[in-house]
Amino acid sequence: MQFPNRPYFVRVVTCFTALMFGATHLPLCGEDPELDKQWQVVQPLLNQYCGDCHTGDDAQAGIRLEKFESPGQILQGRKAWLKISQQIEAGIMPPAQSEPIPATEKVKILEFIQAATNAVNCVKDPNPGKVTVRRLNRFEYANTVRDLTGVEYPKAFDFPGDDVGYGFDNIGDVLTLPPILLEKYIEAAEEISKAAIVVPPPGKKHTSEWTGSQLKIDKGGRASGNFASLSSAGEAYAQEQIPWPGSYKLTITASGDQAGDEPVKAAVVIDGKQMKTISIPNKRGEPKDYVVTLRLKSGRRKIGIEFLNDFYQDNGNGNKLDRNLMVEHVKLEGEKAGTKIDESQIPESHKKLISQTPTGETDSEEVTRKVIQRLVNRAFRRPATQEEVERWVGIAQQVQADGEAFEASIQVVLQGLLLSPQFLFRIEKQRPAVGSTKYAELDEFEVATRISYFLWSTMPDDELFRLAAKGQLSDPTILRGQVERMLKDRRANQFVENFVGQWLQLRKLDEFQPSQQQFPQFNDALRNAMKRETFTFFASVMRNDESVLNLLDSDYTYLNQSLAEFYGIPDVEGEQFRRVSLAGTVRGGLLTQASILAVTSNPTRTSPVKRGKFVLDSLLGTPPPAAPPGVPELKEKGELTGTLRQRMEQHRADPACAACHQLMDPLGFALENFDAVGRWRVKDGNDPIDASGELPGGIKVDGAVALRKLLKDKYQDRFVRCLIEKTLTYSIGRGLDYYDLCTVEKIEQQLKQSDYRFSTMIFEIIRSDAFQKIGSRE
Amino acid sequence: MSAKRISRRTLLRASGVCLALPLLEAMSPQVRSAMSMAPNGKLRMGFFYVPNGKHMPDWTPNTEGPNYQLTKTLEALAPFRKKVSVLTGLTLDGARAHGDGGGDHARSGAAFLTGAHPRKTDGADIQNGVSVDQVAAQEIGGETRFASLELGLEGSAQSGNCDSGYSCAYSSNLSWRNSTSPLAKENNPAALFDRLFGSNPSNGKAEDIKDNAQRYRKSILDSVLEEANGLKRSLGQSDQRKLDEYMYSVREVENRLGRADLVVKTDGDRVDYARPAGVPKELDEHCKLMLDLYTLALQTDSTRVISFMFANEGSNRAYTQVEISEGHHELSHHGKSPEKQEKIAKINRYHMSKLAYLLAKLDAVQEGERTLLDNCMLIYGSGISDGDRHNHDDLPILFCGTAAGRIKQATHTKFSKETPLCNLYLWMLTQMGVKTDSFGDSKGVLKIG
Repeated sequence: MQFPNRPYFVRVVTCFTALMFGATHLPLCGEDPELDKQWQVVQPLLNQYCGDCHTGDDAQAGIRLEKFESPGQILQGRKAWLKISQQIEAGIMPPAQSEPIPATEKVKILEFIQAATNAVNCVKDPNPGKVTVRRLNRFEYANTVRDLTGVEYPKAFDFPGDDVGYGFDNIGDVLTLPPILLEKYIEAAEEISKAAIVVPPPGKKHTSEWTGSQLKIDKGGRASGNFASLSSAGEAYAQEQIPWPGSYKLTITASGDQAGDEPVKAAVVIDGKQMKTISIPNKRGEPKDYVVTLRLKSGRRKIGIEFLNDFYQDNGNGNKLDRNLMVEHVKLEGEKAGTKIDESQIPESHKKLISQTPTGETDSEEVTRKVIQRLVNRAFRRPATQEEVERWVGIAQQVQADGEAFEASIQVVLQGLLLSPQFLFRIEKQRPAVGSTKYAELDEFEVATRISYFLWSTMPDDELFRLAAKGQLSDPTILRGQVERMLKDRRANQFVENFVGQWLQLRKLDEFQPSQQQFPQFNDALRNAMKRETFTFFASVMRNDESVLNLLDSDYTYLNQSLAEFYGIPDVEGEQFRRVSLAGTVRGGLLTQASILAVTSNPTRTSPVKRGKFVLDSLLGTPPPAAPPGVPELKEKGELTGTLRQRMEQHRADPACAACHQLMDPLGFALENFDAVGRWRVKDGNDPIDASGELPGGIKVDGAVALRKLLKDKYQDRFVRCLIEKTLTYSIGRGLDYYDLCTVEKIEQQLKQSDYRFSTMIFEIIRSDAFQKIGSRE
Repeated sequence: MSAKRISRRTLLRASGVCLALPLLEAMSPQVRSAMSMAPNGKLRMGFFYVPNGKHMPDWTPNTEGPNYQLTKTLEALAPFRKKVSVLTGLTLDGARAHGDGGGDHARSGAAFLTGAHPRKTDGADIQNGVSVDQVAAQEIGGETRFASLELGLEGSAQSGNCDSGYSCAYSSNLSWRNSTSPLAKENNPAALFDRLFGSNPSNGKAEDIKDNAQRYRKSILDSVLEEANGLKRSLGQSDQRKLDEYMYSVREVENRLGRADLVVKTDGDRVDYARPAGVPKELDEHCKLMLDLYTLALQTDSTRVISFMFANEGSNRAYTQVEISEGHHELSHHGKSPEKQEKIAKINRYHMSKLAYLLAKLDAVQEGERTLLDNCMLIYGSGISDGDRHNHDDLPILFCGTAAGRIKQATHTKFSKETPLCNLYLWMLTQMGVKTDSFGDSKGVLKIG
């Protein structure tokens, strides 16, 4: 089986004319006798087929073949040669009117260009690549918010954007931040900070007061001077708008002219109804406060003080006995109920974020600074500079100066930090290289952050921060221990869901709509079970530190009763997932899991092309070239007829389609015993399933078991390399380039030596230069 | 946000009516029709994109001119026949391969509003062009609360390779603010409603006026901008570009908040519409809500520029709504099968029924002498003609509305081969007051009607 000739990690270069030949800083390859030998063959071919237009001063597109005299010079002109290779491969060059390159010669030319342009010298400090600053994607955002503040924010999953590049949604170049997303961030920051920190309510108060002379009189006296004086039965009152129902405190400052056998008595009267009576024994000129607590309804109320026991007796000898009431002042105060913070209502997040509160004016600034410093460190995932801390202390002080509580000021700071570019983006600063190496290393905090987003899709935990602070993450033993700890941690489920969900396209399963008529047994529960099988299976390889080859072929999987019945596997009872032996069945490894079989199907039928493409693309890392653009010749042809296999054979008869379909179709047909939702079948309608096919080179493959064996026996290395490439892409958040070859090969060697243990792959990725250093873009 | 806006929201909650008039007046239905906040005759620009091309034999009318016969696909437009022009023969050259190989779907989505030839990359160095809606938004966006809205029925594509080595950003986004910044779509009607007309009911309480979060919003945004400025210096070039994007968004949102206050002070919009609960499971309902809000956004003059993407380019959705269980993209590679072509035509008619719904909504809004639809320049179409051939000439394009009376008569026009779609956009931009003599790959101004 021969894979298409594809330059390693092809990147399309469109800027064709602005190439700088010989001016690149690429590390030069030493003499490679094999390459030189190829060059001896290819150079004359290039001259023959391309030389007419591409030599001399008037060379087309500025490509002068005579300038390239050795494979080394071709590497220096790499960008141009990649483009040349694509044009030849796509049949664009030579142009239609020129002599075409025969297929066998074409292969030689393409293979040579591929080898020459990818000759990287791994010994001489290869470029570790530059990762564009990464915005947190929606999953990372939700997880980070949870770990930073303790607040779950599911609304993050509805954020727009997070476009996908290189198959993943954590690629710095592709993650944009349009205004609509910033709007969502603003709203989120406000909601999260409110939920995370409890601010003591400002103690809502309602106060009204009246001097005695302001009171109105309803019979019995008059209001003048300093007080309302009631000399006979009557009422002094005020009209008041009560803002909310509840308890109010009425303070009456009063005195009395005492006479007779009892002190002055008064009643508090609301809207004409006596509520409380009070006794006022003090004399005129010696006013006292009488406090009454009342429950009032909201609305306009008449609040009155009624004089109850008027007494007047004229003895006729000038000794008059007169009892009067003097009301000097009335004050009504209400405080809304429930304004105190109930200790038990304070969430854990609050206590974690606000570890300390100031006891008074004196330590206010110090405590504010301390609390903020800790918060900024964690939000920025590194120790904040003094200047950064002061920026936020300034904001907190502004809030406090406005009369707000300490807690409110921290709440505003948190709101701001959640909008800071250093929270929303994973910043890695440019810095000069130290010592003799060409490329600078990331600092320990940046590495801790990379590791933690790689394996957990969230910020580092306290342990990682501690190790970073001590500079210990560069110690291989400690790092290895951390990798093992982190993979066992439940947060590593995020790696499984986000990496596997995208690598194997399982996220697309959510949108898969198989025809209900044809597949009535398919429902959401089954859909979820399918996904769960693959996630659990992968997680088990990860957590038990098994060989990554188990992903390709295994004698076990994880099933619950519904899925086991769907597979026709007996004796699995209950809806919880458990490890189930597949010995003696046709299934084993990822490729025969229903999730993958379904996601590579069309709604009404299987798609051998999609399945074949999936094998090439996702498992072997050799994506077939895209279908030729336009396919104009199809327009002239009649309709394709017959069975699916027959139609595809007709399609394959077209030479423009053959090259790739010869490869994709047999791989896909080998899985034809699984229908569009992944169930075993021996017939498609009335036709018996034919799962046989022949790959280029005469390799016959018949059925899923044979395909699995073929992949394992012959293409194990390709699978391992593909897995490394996908995992590395996900971990560093950029597409791989030709210079990453060294990193991938090194990881591959280490992985082989450890019997393909999963944790070795992760460990070696983290230790690689691509992960640890800052290179440049080419 | 000001106190006024919040109190308005309270009323919106309470009565389903967003009012500026004294309460009593606002509650009387007679007044409602007389009230429109949008200035009469203001031109709107809208787009409605559908993926995977069309079954062209059912699309193109046989005869040219104002008396063209509606074809099977266009039948649903009968009520608006006098307001819809069919433009045949337009070309989107940027979507062609030009030596980049496969990827027609990604290129069609990316080029449809930009006329650019997107750079083939799965991520690094994304490069497209600025889109026509954004050029218009930059010209007139300052007059409304939102310079533009970008809407759709699905989010960005979620995993895997979207199309032959093209990042999913190309097939998921129509609108591009500049050559490197696509504008993500809003697909949640509840969130869109909140953006347009205010947030959840609890915000209406009096105490929220003193909400700290809102009170310090401006100081915070100023502070993070300052931080970003300082940070930029210590970053490499590609990182700086990301920071620029961040800073642009912060400023843009600050402006928007400023404009929100302005609108509140002049207060005149009122909306009789219940807040959607979220994204409905049913496509029909989802689409209805989004198109209702499309209309309301224009009606209330919250924006004058909207792009709407029915599905991401290359979508393989199964339209079970019209009993089609195969995926759309899969079907579009029909290999001349009449059965498959009929199914594509059915999907085309389904899409057309959604356009008809939108046009009916727009046409029901009276703006002085004309209707809101009249005041629109609404383009409906796809960047691919026949899904099997992936050709980008002879595109299915409709021009809906009369551009506020500038188009005297709706017609079917066949343009000469290779007439750029961007010629049409150039005409539209000129109508919007943009002073330019080229857009995308335009070669001149297209005259219609």
